[in-house]
Amino acid sequence: MISLIARRLLQLPVILLVIYTLTLALAWKVPGNPLENPEGRRPAPEVIAAMKAQYNLDSFTNFYVSYLDSASGFKFLRETVTGERARRAAEAEAAGRFAPPSSVFDLGPSLQYRDRRVNEIIAEALPVSMVLGLAAILIALVIGVGAGVAGAMRPNSWLDLATLAVALVGISLPTFVIGTVLLLVFPVLLGWGSIPGWGGLGSVLLPALTLSLPFAAYIARLTRMGMIEQLQADYIRTARAKGVTEMRVLLVHALKNAFLPVLSYLGPATAMAMTGSFVVERVFVVPGLGQHFVNAVQNKDLFLIIGVVLIFATLLVLFNLAVDVLSRWIDPRIE
Amino acid sequence: METFERASLYACNAKGAGVLKLLLPLVLLVLALGATIVSDRPLPPAELTIINRAEVTTLDVSQITWMQDIRVAKCLYEGLVRNDVLSPDFAIKPAAAERWEVSSDGLRYTFHLRETRWSDGSVVLASDFLYSWMRSLLPDSATDYSGFLMHIRGGRDYFQWRERALADFARSLRERGLSEDSAAAEALWTETKRRFTEMVGVRSPNQRTIEIELERPLPYFLEMLGFITFSPVREQVVRRYEIVDAASGRVKWDQSWTKPPRLVTNGPMMVDQWRFRREMRLVRNPHYWDPAAIGVESISIPVIDDQVSQVLAFETGSVDWVSDVTAPFRGEIVERKRQFHREHADEVNRLRAMGLGPVEIDRRLPADPRRNVQVLPSFGTYFWNLNCAPRLPDGRANPMADPRVRRALAMAVDKEAIATGVRRVGEAIAPTLIPPGSIAGYRSPKGLGFDPEAARRLLAEAGYPGGEGFMTLDLLVNKDGGHELIAQAIAKDWKRHLNIETTISVQEIKVFRDRLRTKNFVTSRGSWFGDYGDPTTFLDLNRSGDGNNDRAFASPRFDAVLDRAAEETDPARRMELLTEAERLIVEEELPLIPIFHYVNIYLFDPSRLDGVSTHPRSEQHLYRMRRLTPTP
Repeated sequence: MISLIARRLLQLPVILLVIYTLTLALAWKVPGNPLENPEGRRPAPEVIAAMKAQYNLDSFTNFYVSYLDSASGFKFLRETVTGERARRAAEAEAAGRFAPPSSVFDLGPSLQYRDRRVNEIIAEALPVSMVLGLAAILIALVIGVGAGVAGAMRPNSWLDLATLAVALVGISLPTFVIGTVLLLVFPVLLGWGSIPGWGGLGSVLLPALTLSLPFAAYIARLTRMGMIEQLQADYIRTARAKGVTEMRVLLVHALKNAFLPVLSYLGPATAMAMTGSFVVERVFVVPGLGQHFVNAVQNKDLFLIIGVVLIFATLLVLFNLAVDVLSRWIDPRIE
Repeated sequence: METFERASLYACNAKGAGVLKLLLPLVLLVLALGATIVSDRPLPPAELTIINRAEVTTLDVSQITWMQDIRVAKCLYEGLVRNDVLSPDFAIKPAAAERWEVSSDGLRYTFHLRETRWSDGSVVLASDFLYSWMRSLLPDSATDYSGFLMHIRGGRDYFQWRERALADFARSLRERGLSEDSAAAEALWTETKRRFTEMVGVRSPNQRTIEIELERPLPYFLEMLGFITFSPVREQVVRRYEIVDAASGRVKWDQSWTKPPRLVTNGPMMVDQWRFRREMRLVRNPHYWDPAAIGVESISIPVIDDQVSQVLAFETGSVDWVSDVTAPFRGEIVERKRQFHREHADEVNRLRAMGLGPVEIDRRLPADPRRNVQVLPSFGTYFWNLNCAPRLPDGRANPMADPRVRRALAMAVDKEAIATGVRRVGEAIAPTLIPPGSIAGYRSPKGLGFDPEAARRLLAEAGYPGGEGFMTLDLLVNKDGGHELIAQAIAKDWKRHLNIETTISVQEIKVFRDRLRTKNFVTSRGSWFGDYGDPTTFLDLNRSGDGNNDRAFASPRFDAVLDRAAEETDPARRMELLTEAERLIVEEELPLIPIFHYVNIYLFDPSRLDGVSTHPRSEQHLYRMRRLTPTP
């Protein structure tokens, strides 16, 4: 178990480096000047050149190296060891200035939100996305496992077909349709909850429900398949023969084993729910991370693009690891 | 057999434990989630809640370029002068300066500051203005509006000097084989600050006086001074966030100074909270010199990007004012408002005859949800760019280099059909580039009308009778925003009236902007919003070689008229010259075809909210809005 964790954590920097290189290369190739506004005044050429130089946007190599240096934490480490940081802080203080801010992993400034650093943006948005994503996954689990078990009890019965149909709708209907309909019905027509208003239980429910539906549908199908398979296994027959109640057979014996495929799906699903909810965030006015994936690319906000991609990659690796650890803990048979 | 035994054993023995193992992480997760959600409560409602287009990107006056930033910054910062947005002529009023003198040659301005205070209680000093202007003029922090400061004598020289100095610094490091030199960087910064007072034509003989010397007379300089870039920042605070980069010699500012509670401002409001992409909360600045001008105690600005959710938020009553409604169904919203006015036509006409403004009229009509929509003129124009270069990007000779062809193309476009059939939000068609009535003392030229017959004649004169031998014209637009529909309407007109074949290219906005900048297009959509109240804010983009002259239009005749206007000291005569300049553009040369003047669509209940400016300059000062108690 420990060697598994250590191996995965050691792989992480290598994965991130590859992803960083690919993302930057692609984002750099996107045509257009990141510092130019979609409308309005275009500054003089000398001003444009000065603006590009501010952010190292005039040279790919400089950008690649300097970003890697500060984002990897190497710069922070080097400057701490050489005493560079302390010296700079002392100098600033002598000149009547504050010590320059420094973070271990410095992901750079945002080109679109000029007053924010990418670290700040992620620190503000990630917790919101995590809350929304986890809430969505929990709802998806309750709905999905419930529907899956109900369907598997009597395969091809009307209940089974109904849950399959609902699952199909959950997967096919785009979230912006579900989201807008929910908004229209609850806050606008019934007056429950408000727009805008992230914060408080009421504000999490509708977006989490919307976000959960595609996941719930998939979990329902996984659970149903797993349950149908498990219910035909010999140990279930043994359990029934021993007089164990049907409820217990279903929920304790069969579900525990049928749940394992769901569990391994939960890793990537949770990472996705936490970061990939652009539409839900937009419709429900949730200040999360998903919107930055799309907006940053549109704005060619290089630092922010790379920042959110790296965070997503890290989450994906960590959640997959967490799921693997959990599966081993729940079912020691897994090697 | 082995597997079966282990599995069944496991299943039977670990009944309880197995389920517990499954449930335990779940229960922990639910608890943590619940605690987070419950602890994250929204703020209590503010006196006024408004939707401001999009999240503010920066509150650093040297960096501001976006409309939503300007709108908030106008509440936070007080320049020397400011426009009275609620007055009918949008007049310039004294603000941080209580009075000023202008030399007879129009080159020197002397401003006398009144005693005003920053939100931390300290006095606003002349040096705060100078420090702020220096920041905007440094290549280190250059932005779109650095050019405004270059009207001041020596401004451009200073910018270029600093650029050279930074290049020299980098070269010297390379030559000495160093990666950085903090002592040299500090020395350069000290020198840069000294040079500013030496090279640039701004002085403060004492902390209550500012003298500005211009490169050449600028009759609209006061208008320009009202722009946000000329606002002060508190030097004593902001200078503490300077970071002198020892590797490049550049000065950066740690942008945490723009966030509360560190942000110190001198305007009517100050920032109480700024939660990124959630909400900004402004409250009254207790030290503001003119407290009577402030209409509200607090303003909440939640960030709602989604165009539909913006309207829904207003309909649930949680928002008092929505700026710039862009929802796809806005045509229907505007049509419902028109229907409402038709139902009350007599009353509306009677009130209009009394000389009441549009909001005043609605306030007196019976309460109705349709009343909450206001369509107001905006300081911007939608037009169609025609590439005027002698050769097209692909090397072919450009038929549009002939002004007769451009005039023909312009006269063949049915603008009315675009405004009423495609846009459907009540925009006025544009015979001219400058929105009429937006600039006091300026008379717009007549412009060209829709005249397919005359257009065909012109095209024949230019050597293309019946469109014969004319190239296929490409219409370049950016994705979204409905531009493709307008391109289709124009393409249809050119085909029907001039027999010209067309293609339409749709590009991402960044690519679109790039192709415009490099003149890599044949025709394209374009738009322009004025920055200050003078015709040159629109006319300058047609000057030969201007950075915003996407059309590669070069007319010595037009440039000469602008130059003469720039030298004219009699304001009335100057305006006449500018009218002549615009006449050349919209009646003779047509480097662009003005299509319509933009409108702003606002949502607010006129019986509950006052202080919304209806002036075509379309600038809103949020702090002047106030709540009304509706009369039953």
